[in-house]
Amino acid sequence: MTTRKRLSLTAGGCVLLAGAVATNQGLAHKAEHTPEQLQAFHGVFMDQVKTGDLLFHGDAATEKRLGVKLSATGMACAMCHPYASDTHPYEFPKFQEQMNEFATLRDMINWCIEKPNEGEKIDPNGEAMKALEAYIYWSNRNARLDPGRH
Amino acid sequence: MSTLERLRLEMDRTLRPQGERPSYSTRMTRRIFLHRSLALGAASAATYGFFPLLNVLDVAFAADGQAFKFAWLSDTHLYPKDVNTRFVDKTVRAVQEVQAMNPPADFLIFGGDLAQLGDPVELRLGAELLKELKIKKVFIPGEHDWYLDMGKTWNEMFGQSPWKLDHKGVRFLGLDTVSHAEDFWTGRKMSPKERMGHMATLDGTLGGAWAAVGPEQIKWLNDALADWPKDKPVVVFSHNPLYEYYPPWNFWVRDWQAVHEVLKPFSNVTNIHGHTHQVLYNEIGKVRSIGMLATSWPWPYAPEGVPILTRPMVRADPGDHFDGVGWSALALTAQARVDNEYRMWRKDVFATAAVDSGTGDNGNQILSPRIADRI
Repeated sequence: MTTRKRLSLTAGGCVLLAGAVATNQGLAHKAEHTPEQLQAFHGVFMDQVKTGDLLFHGDAATEKRLGVKLSATGMACAMCHPYASDTHPYEFPKFQEQMNEFATLRDMINWCIEKPNEGEKIDPNGEAMKALEAYIYWSNRNARLDPGRH
Repeated sequence: MSTLERLRLEMDRTLRPQGERPSYSTRMTRRIFLHRSLALGAASAATYGFFPLLNVLDVAFAADGQAFKFAWLSDTHLYPKDVNTRFVDKTVRAVQEVQAMNPPADFLIFGGDLAQLGDPVELRLGAELLKELKIKKVFIPGEHDWYLDMGKTWNEMFGQSPWKLDHKGVRFLGLDTVSHAEDFWTGRKMSPKERMGHMATLDGTLGGAWAAVGPEQIKWLNDALADWPKDKPVVVFSHNPLYEYYPPWNFWVRDWQAVHEVLKPFSNVTNIHGHTHQVLYNEIGKVRSIGMLATSWPWPYAPEGVPILTRPMVRADPGDHFDGVGWSALALTAQARVDNEYRMWRKDVFATAAVDSGTGDNGNQILSPRIADRI
């Protein structure tokens, strides 16, 4: 293949890609967001935060609804992490000493559930995990990202 | 300087005449101490020394004072045995260690939060475990002991607070700092269990600033000290610290300034408190406060307000539930000293680097109060 032909194919690919992006953007942003839309997006987020808050504080009804068992000792996450303190979500991913591996926040959440709390690990992509993650991030919002920090 | 720091300095200036220090200087010292760990066994216990946290207070001790020891145990947070045995195990271990003190402690002060949810089953379990201790025992309540039946079972089993006890030249005072929450439950038609649940959540919203001494007890405190010489030692036991550390978690009593006004004439006051589950030390005016460990679990240091006089404890390993917890052996010596030895069940008590302390390491931490319990 000549250099000219390779350039031509690359250019064609770029045009196709740009077209696809433009189409997607068009679908996602037909018009400017209305206050109602923004409120709805925020509502979805805060619902997750509230669910996570309840799970984090050992609410039995929320655990039952989501089919998870986060603790077998009576301990809830918040008993060691009031206001989700010392969870340091902004430091992940990082090497996590207890696990002896490179870990995400979701890995750490599952470690805490399984080890200190003696509960049952949860689906890393499930509803309970997303809610716990939302609550922990929300509680620590405005901290600066500092991934990898021990 | 933060508002809190400014307030603290202002209170210190108000309460302590210029140029005066507490009648005895306070030094944080390091001393090699052989950890007599029951878990490790006597053979291995002597193989290492470590630096315990030792508050050495030079006391202008009364002429009739005699050397003696006492022990502090608190924050066992017992659940019924079928829910959780690890808190039982740690209480048993602490009780055995207090019982093994040599020379023996004259008495044990239990500093509150014997139970987790105020359940009579939990309180009875606590009483049963403490029965193994043959020395005199005195009690003050914690909020976890109180809000299921508003202290009824607690008072029946462990006696009412406040109380005073004169012992070998020291006036000991036991306060109730937990029973003054504003009523958030009646209007919301909450059951006693629901009320207890909110009060048992450290970062809960509805309990508000529940920790207080209260006007009646402040008057009692004033009366209880009326006949006591101003230069003789006073030790005040309280579940919550008698200064402002972090109100959102009730790491304070809301009327601490009024309490300090009462204590102001006395030159030799030590406040010993629980609730915070961590190594703490502070001085305001002539009053020093020492925070005790829990046997159950360590709380993290609050995001702000840690007294600058506190030398922070090392971060606990969450995978080891015997880490970062313990009890305290305290001694009043005839050589005019008060020693507090944290009996933490680990090798290193102090953090030697900020990264290991959980305080200096948290500069990037910005926290928000929880939201789901604002009902």
